[in-house]
Amino acid sequence: MILEAFRWIGYATILYFVVMQLYLFALAVYSGFVLRRNYHMRRFGRINEMLSSQTSPPISIVIPAYNEVAGIVDSVRSMSIVSYPRFEIVVCNDGSIDGTLETLIEAFNLTQVRIPYRPDIETAPIRAIYRGRGAVDITVIDKENGGRADALNAAINAARYPYVLCTDADVVLDGKALVRGMQRVVEDRERTICVGGNIRPINGSNVGLGHLITPGVPRGMIARMQVLEYLRTFLATRPAWSALSALPLVSGAFGIWKRSAIFDVGGYQPGHLGEDLDLTMRMHRYHIDNAIPYRIVYEPSAVLWTEVPDTVRVLRRQRIRWHRGLITAIRDFRSMTFNPRYGTLGMVTWAAFFLFEFLAPFLEAIGWVVVPTAYFLGALDTETLILMILLALGAGLMNSLVALWLDEPYGFFNRPIDTSRLIVIALIENFGLRQMTVYWRVRAAFGARKTHAWGNMERRGVANLGIEA
Amino acid sequence: MNGIDFGRVAVLVVFVFNGLLMLSLIVGKGVHRRRIKSHERRRVAYLTLLSRQLAAPDRSVEMGSSIAGDPAFLDALIDIRTSVVGSESDELSWIVGRHGVMETYARRLERRFPVTPRLNAAVALAEVADESWAPLLMDHLGDREPEIRIQAARGLARVKWTPAIDAIVERFGVETPWVRTRFEDTLLTFGSKATWPLVAYVRVNHKFDSLGPAAAIRTIGRIGDRDAVQSLIAILQSSQDPEIQIAAIEALGILGVPLAMPSLERTFLSDDWRLRAKTATALAMIAEREAIPILTTGLEDPNWWVRRNSAAGLARHREGIRNLHKAIQSTDPFARDAAAEALADVGEVIAARERIDAGSATVDDVELIRFIESELAVKA
Repeated sequence: MILEAFRWIGYATILYFVVMQLYLFALAVYSGFVLRRNYHMRRFGRINEMLSSQTSPPISIVIPAYNEVAGIVDSVRSMSIVSYPRFEIVVCNDGSIDGTLETLIEAFNLTQVRIPYRPDIETAPIRAIYRGRGAVDITVIDKENGGRADALNAAINAARYPYVLCTDADVVLDGKALVRGMQRVVEDRERTICVGGNIRPINGSNVGLGHLITPGVPRGMIARMQVLEYLRTFLATRPAWSALSALPLVSGAFGIWKRSAIFDVGGYQPGHLGEDLDLTMRMHRYHIDNAIPYRIVYEPSAVLWTEVPDTVRVLRRQRIRWHRGLITAIRDFRSMTFNPRYGTLGMVTWAAFFLFEFLAPFLEAIGWVVVPTAYFLGALDTETLILMILLALGAGLMNSLVALWLDEPYGFFNRPIDTSRLIVIALIENFGLRQMTVYWRVRAAFGARKTHAWGNMERRGVANLGIEA
Repeated sequence: MNGIDFGRVAVLVVFVFNGLLMLSLIVGKGVHRRRIKSHERRRVAYLTLLSRQLAAPDRSVEMGSSIAGDPAFLDALIDIRTSVVGSESDELSWIVGRHGVMETYARRLERRFPVTPRLNAAVALAEVADESWAPLLMDHLGDREPEIRIQAARGLARVKWTPAIDAIVERFGVETPWVRTRFEDTLLTFGSKATWPLVAYVRVNHKFDSLGPAAAIRTIGRIGDRDAVQSLIAILQSSQDPEIQIAAIEALGILGVPLAMPSLERTFLSDDWRLRAKTATALAMIAEREAIPILTTGLEDPNWWVRRNSAAGLARHREGIRNLHKAIQSTDPFARDAAAEALADVGEVIAARERIDAGSATVDDVELIRFIESELAVKA
């Protein structure tokens, strides 16, 4: 009886895994069609006309910063040289204690000003406001510590333009990212409330004076694994979600939002560990509940490069934080899960988030325990066990390879050596790295799910992430 | 087939598929790189050949039968066409005509599928085609592919095909926002020839539609034809649609004609804050001395956008800056904040600090810096 139970639990886990991989594969294939069309539009579309057009809507780039002294200047510089007719940069220093504010004052020749600050969203008290005296249109809000969401809210309050690009302080923005993202806004200004961008790890690339000089694959296994992970997420999944009009998440590092829409839902939720997921889902809920036409889209050619953790310790902290954010969101939006009122979002993408993101680590962990136990108790024979393992590995590998294939038109990793390195990591990530991530995500279920503290990502600064000599 | 057999087949399928993917990835990258290099080599070769032909025309030289559909030849053609004049242009047209380049792209554009060669063909015709291809481009102003519609309009504007103006303007009301904005940009190429078709379109449609006429009005403003001012004033006065009124105010501001002042003064008294805010900016752009007292009253407007735009408008005039300094001492905290922001934006705060450091500060400078450094009770 017990042996039978073990065997069937083993079969159920493998079935679950195969269904998950099939869902991901279907998304990847659909994404492939979407990306192909997007590639041709990018190639033939006269996007450069937007750069000289007075009809291009102005945008504020908002950057929350807490102890970002290592990379803040390079990041702001990269943003100040993007191609776009009219934009401003608003940095919110969230009570940093490492001299971030002083570094900004010195680098951009800031002077304290007094401008009306409209607290459309309540935030921690503002200490002072600074404006740049140089060529860069930069405003710096210095406020008391309140967390990332609070800092974003303060910067959005201070922004002057109708659209805001919410991003991070450890990123390099591709020169054409803004214009490509805003193209999607201009396509349908009435309905577009958000455009998400394509985020790629910058570790291993050469960066100078705010420019990405040559993209590269990082040396470390941890960072390299994340390159593959980001490709799977941003090329094999999100284009399909976006085409289905059911994008459940716009990443916090690159989201162009309509400012008035953010005010409508009360801004980012302070203390939430997944504030980007929370905001995206609240936007969906608000617009669907009030029958307001809207669209949240993803633009793969709007590229932003970000620093990813390159040590196990930092990665563990990041993954635990992300999964706690996901757990909170799953709880907060449980009424939307499998709810036909929310259309494809409720029935497919958010439901899949619940099944394949929230439940996956728990079921995968059960599988690791049950399948070997069933084997040692004699409930599974050797051939079945091997077939199960091979099927699981093969399906996982397939999705990584498809993601790499989808990256082809972007041409960032065109050297065969880079592709080979990523293929190797796709082969070996299932032996150790994957299990580690699952363990952290299970651990995330135990512990606080709200904090005003920032994630302790140890920054090296985007300019210092090139391949070590 | 039992479960094990099914498992075996599934594993085999997955691994064969993975093997093929890996192979195609590694081989594909190499092929892709080679293709790019080959394209570049051919482009340079065509450029050299074309340059020689234009410098010393020799109509007996064969350029090969495959060039008509070669994207490298098209790139070379696009590169060279902007630098040719006079007889060289005729020679280039002869080369293009002899090899049937445009005919090839026209045939591709006329097909229903696939979309990529059609887009490529539309770009080619937009970049290189002469007037003789205008009727074809006119037909494709209504193509089902938005990018092809954009390219068709661009091609027509490049050859200055004036009958296209009406056709493009007529589509304002039915187009997607993206195509409409690109059409707006395209119409600028026609210059003042597009003004009256746009005015006529607005006159006919402004009571039935909002977005199309508003886009047309904005385009009139950007063309900069001051002959349209009277018509814009009439539209501003007769329309009840805020979108159209806002576009008209914007256009009058860009045209900068003092004739519009009385109408703008009236819209500055509107109940709609959006109209007041736009009017403040337009008044500032007209840059008439008479606008200063009006904008000064705008500093005390209940709406913060109006206050901000009025202050920014005042900051454009020397006399206006004096009024902003006075507003710093106002009893109205909203006016003070708006004035301070505008003064900071035009560099007055920095200048005042420097004058204080140099010992040449005025009372206004001292008051401004004292206000800036006071407690941030900044709520608008």
